[in-house]
Amino acid sequence: MNSGATAFVYVVLRILAALGAGAVLGWLAGSFWFGISGALALYLAWNLWQLRALHFWLQHRSVADPPDAMGLWGDVVAQVVRLHRRKRFHKEKLTRLFRELRRSTAAMPDGVVMLDPQGEIVWFNRKAGELLDLSRRADLGLRIDNLVRNPDFVRYLRGGQYSMPVIVRLDTPTERFIAFQLIAYGEDQRLLMLRDVTREVRMEQMRKDFVANASHELRSPLTVVAGYLENFSADPGLGELGAPVAEMRRQTDRMTRIIEDLLELSRFEANDGPIKGAPIDVAAMAAMLRKDVLARPVHPRHVEVSVESAACLIGDEAMVQSAFSNLVDNAAKYTPSDGSVYVRWWSDDAGGHFSVRDTGPGISAEHLPRLTERFYRVDPGRSRETGGSGLGLAIVKHALHRHGGRLEIDSAEGRGSTFTCHFPSDRLLEARVAASA
Amino acid sequence: METADLSHHISRRFNEDLERVRNKVLTMGGMVEQQLANAVTALIEGDSNLGVSVGRDDFKVNGMEVSIDEECSRILATRAPAAGDLRLIVAIIKTITDLERIGDEGEKIGYIASRLATMERPADKYREIKHLGRIVSEMVHQALDAFARMDAEAALRVARQDRVVDEEYESIQRQCITFMMEDPRSIRRALDVMWIVRALERIGDHAKNICEYVIYMVYGKDVRHTKLEDVERDMRDRTSGGA
Repeated sequence: MNSGATAFVYVVLRILAALGAGAVLGWLAGSFWFGISGALALYLAWNLWQLRALHFWLQHRSVADPPDAMGLWGDVVAQVVRLHRRKRFHKEKLTRLFRELRRSTAAMPDGVVMLDPQGEIVWFNRKAGELLDLSRRADLGLRIDNLVRNPDFVRYLRGGQYSMPVIVRLDTPTERFIAFQLIAYGEDQRLLMLRDVTREVRMEQMRKDFVANASHELRSPLTVVAGYLENFSADPGLGELGAPVAEMRRQTDRMTRIIEDLLELSRFEANDGPIKGAPIDVAAMAAMLRKDVLARPVHPRHVEVSVESAACLIGDEAMVQSAFSNLVDNAAKYTPSDGSVYVRWWSDDAGGHFSVRDTGPGISAEHLPRLTERFYRVDPGRSRETGGSGLGLAIVKHALHRHGGRLEIDSAEGRGSTFTCHFPSDRLLEARVAASA
Repeated sequence: METADLSHHISRRFNEDLERVRNKVLTMGGMVEQQLANAVTALIEGDSNLGVSVGRDDFKVNGMEVSIDEECSRILATRAPAAGDLRLIVAIIKTITDLERIGDEGEKIGYIASRLATMERPADKYREIKHLGRIVSEMVHQALDAFARMDAEAALRVARQDRVVDEEYESIQRQCITFMMEDPRSIRRALDVMWIVRALERIGDHAKNICEYVIYMVYGKDVRHTKLEDVERDMRDRTSGGA
């Protein structure tokens, strides 16, 4: 039997005892019922007294001690005290935890802003306040896009595509670059993480500038050397120097090509935003590329162009031309003269696709992920003899990136390779729209 | 019961309307700030493409002005706002006019910058203009911050900045005159530079106007054509009287 039930039994016994005593006293005094009702009245008075004490204590719990009560009342008081203690313990634990959490997020090197479904600021840590120039007193409850008004950020906030961070230049009070990343959680709430990436952006810019400037500076002396070599090689009296001069000419040609490609790449990189451009006739471009291949001294026997879509591609013509010709050149270079190259242009719901398939030696799987890196060589010996710069696919990748597209490479050793450029559908201009416009 | 529910509904919708139009003003402000920053960058870095793109994108700002204007007229016609709400609408209508003008000045700077990009750049690489551009951008930014926070004190601080802009303007003007007297061949470029500096100075004035609308919105007092010292004293009296 537990203590509650025991206490209850005692209470019943005590009432019975009181009633019995009252009955005996009343019987002795001559009135049996008077005795019983007197005992009941006394018992009721005692209970009321205990209840009052309990009530008083509950009301002034912070100052008064718990009442000394016996029996069931004492049990009730003890239970209340226990409940109260447990609650206070939990509350303290939670408060401590909350304080720790706040302190740790405040110490984070990144900025954190909590947003409610309307984009209003619920809370932010110290770093976020520093980075965005927010004040804790005035800015809680304001919408974040009212204070960070940069159009790129506002578009990101309202766009709902939060998988990638967005890097935004803020001009005031000092120019800085901040990477914003939104994380959705709970019911439509969002966490905004921000990081100062000014240093990284500047370093990247310096790297780009360096490559562009270095290539530019190297070009002029190289032109002079190449010019003299051209003159020498035309001289019939060279004798045994003929072969070295011819080799030097080949190497300067290659160097010129590398520098041209580097310059082109840095031109594509110079600006990261998407380009607007104009409609490009892909069919005509593909036909031109085919002619170029057939004009090479050694070329694949079979070059087939199939244009299955009359849609035009909207973009920068020079950039697209450069990307496509790099792909077709590569295919022509690596395909033996009895092989074939297939060029195809088609469109569907996903957008436009330009693919170049060859029957060359193919590329083994381990090279595929690194293929678009600058100067990455699958077979160093072989690509030198074909005279590539090692930058072709990097140029393709960048040109596509600027058009919102991507490059897909499908290849296996001995089976040939397929390079496909995918363009989003908003880059297409359907022929009938073009005709009616 | 039904009437009470309906009125609650109307006032909630009304609040949403006001909130939406206010957000739109600040979105427009963000676009204008970006345009201004790009225009100044185009000049400093000699980027003629960026300059032209600033000029080309001005139509977006104009479009925002028209749409906010329409929305304000609709609110005035259908809700007949009073007191603070009315002041908010009036301040918004005026603010977007000034924002649109800032956009126009930015467009002007963008076009001139793209023309200057093709010319020889001066030895100081437009350092003074960069400095002035920074002060003015900051003014526009803080004016819009004050608008977002409904902070009249901040607005007053920004309005006071206008004097610095005027001084810078004077100093660049003197410098340009010196250049023109020294070398008449630089007159064409110096005139273009003057146009840009003039545009920046005007932008400072527009930012100051926006600050005055913020003070009007918060205190209900028109402080145009009033000395800033008087405005400050007045504001101090009000806050101490109200407390």
